Amino acid sequence: MNVGLLEAFALIVRRELCLSFRRPDQLLQPLVFFLIVTTLFPLGLNLQLSLLRDMSPGVLWVAALLSSLLSLDSLFKSDADDGTLEQLALCGQDLTVIVVAKTFAHWLVSGAALVLVSPVVGTALGIPTEAFLTMMLSLTLGTLTLSWLGAIGAGLTVGLKRGNVLLSLIVLPLAMPLLIFGAGATDRAISGTSSAGALYFLAALCVFTCTLAPFAATTALRITLE
Amino acid sequence: MMSSSFWVMGGYARYVWPCYAFACVVLAWNLWSARRFRGAAQVRARRAAEMAMAAGGEP
Amino acid sequence: MTVREIMWTWFYKLASPPYVYGASAALAPWALGGAALAMGYGLIAGLAIAPPDYQQGEAVRMIYVHVPSAMLSLTVYTLMAAASAVALIWRIKVGHAVAAASAPIGASFTILALVTGSLWGRPMWGTYWAWDPRLTSELILLFLYVGVMSLRLAFEDPSRGDRAAALLAIVGVVNVPIVHFSVVWWNSLHQGATIVRLGAPKMPGSMLWPLLSMWLGFMLFFAAVLCIRLQGEVLNRERQSTWVREAVKS
Repeated sequence: MNVGLLEAFALIVRRELCLSFRRPDQLLQPLVFFLIVTTLFPLGLNLQLSLLRDMSPGVLWVAALLSSLLSLDSLFKSDADDGTLEQLALCGQDLTVIVVAKTFAHWLVSGAALVLVSPVVGTALGIPTEAFLTMMLSLTLGTLTLSWLGAIGAGLTVGLKRGNVLLSLIVLPLAMPLLIFGAGATDRAISGTSSAGALYFLAALCVFTCTLAPFAATTALRITLE
Repeated sequence: MMSSSFWVMGGYARYVWPCYAFACVVLAWNLWSARRFRGAAQVRARRAAEMAMAAGGEP
Repeated sequence: MTVREIMWTWFYKLASPPYVYGASAALAPWALGGAALAMGYGLIAGLAIAPPDYQQGEAVRMIYVHVPSAMLSLTVYTLMAAASAVALIWRIKVGHAVAAASAPIGASFTILALVTGSLWGRPMWGTYWAWDPRLTSELILLFLYVGVMSLRLAFEDPSRGDRAAALLAIVGVVNVPIVHFSVVWWNSLHQGATIVRLGAPKMPGSMLWPLLSMWLGFMLFFAAVLCIRLQGEVLNRERQSTWVREAVKS
């Protein structure tokens, strides 16, 4: 049976989404973590809302980064554990298409969900509603880039004991420019100046990563699966 | 040998000399660590060679 | 033999572990001697002979360790990434040995650059640290080195660890141009490019020559330490080969 590229992509995305929604608790955990971590900052720092607003872009982004890292472990792990990953690698379809499909589906349930929840968190941190659009746009671009950086890291560490610590060690340095520009864009939106420059840079990072990372992630999987 | 003004470094001595001292430490560590690494590798290789001789009896 | 044939023979030799082992053993003492000479001249000329800076006074003398170590930290990472690429693409195992040997040396130079820079920053900028693009990207470089070394160690199968670390080194090389151009692309506290730029270097000769000599000394030192580490790495990877048994008998 000859399955075309787009059809394979759609099949894998549907499979991933089905599997994810079968375990709604695992879906919600990173989101809850996101909410909890953002709560920790105001509690720990005991600031007035107006002062919190100055820190809010950074806090939001660090929390988004950390909760994305939590969910990245599941990108390849369950498939690697039961042998499905090897079957997918051998099935005759281009492994890159499969990796793109899995990462996209993963982003839909983690990164995109984070973006949808962000207005709630933004309100808790005192971000004015005028800045919400920039915040959500920057988070969309950022979580997409992060899913791809995470795919490379997950591909390299799948099957390792304590792989998720190493995964963070690998992904976080690569994600630092993302943090700088993402928080910068939201920060400028809050203070009223133009965030266009930072958003363009985020978009450039996103495009750069989304075009090159699939090949790196596929190579990483091939290395670990051999 | 060198005048005291050299050691004082125009008042910046407490930044300049620790700088050079740390550089010496890093360079020395590099040499020491590399030699130790090579030595351990040679010991392991020698052991592997001895085991191969004992097992196969060929030089 | 034509020049082309000679070059290719040399290239094939470089892929051979016993040749690399022997060449490293022979090269190391010469490189170390050269490093001592270059650093000796650089230190004497830089510390004692060169005049103090108009603005920075005697504090400018820290340039003779800070700049070479920073340049080395970037060069070594690039070498590590290049060796990793050679090893992954053409499956030349010696490439993995070179990458594994370079990583700890490069990481130590990065730490040296960060510490000497911090000591220089305190009198000049009034702070030991600033979250400025050049400093931040150099710190990220250190994290990348640590990540590559950790990833290599995490695998039980050494060859799989080599290949995984190689991929990470290649992915991380994106940071090297960021470190170099950070002073051009952003408003940085750090000084702009004075040597590695288009056009003549913006530095007087009395300072430039000792600096270049220190840089050469550091490069030769790196070559010497690399050769020593490389011998160890090659031995570890080729332990079961017959040439190793001959080589360690002596």
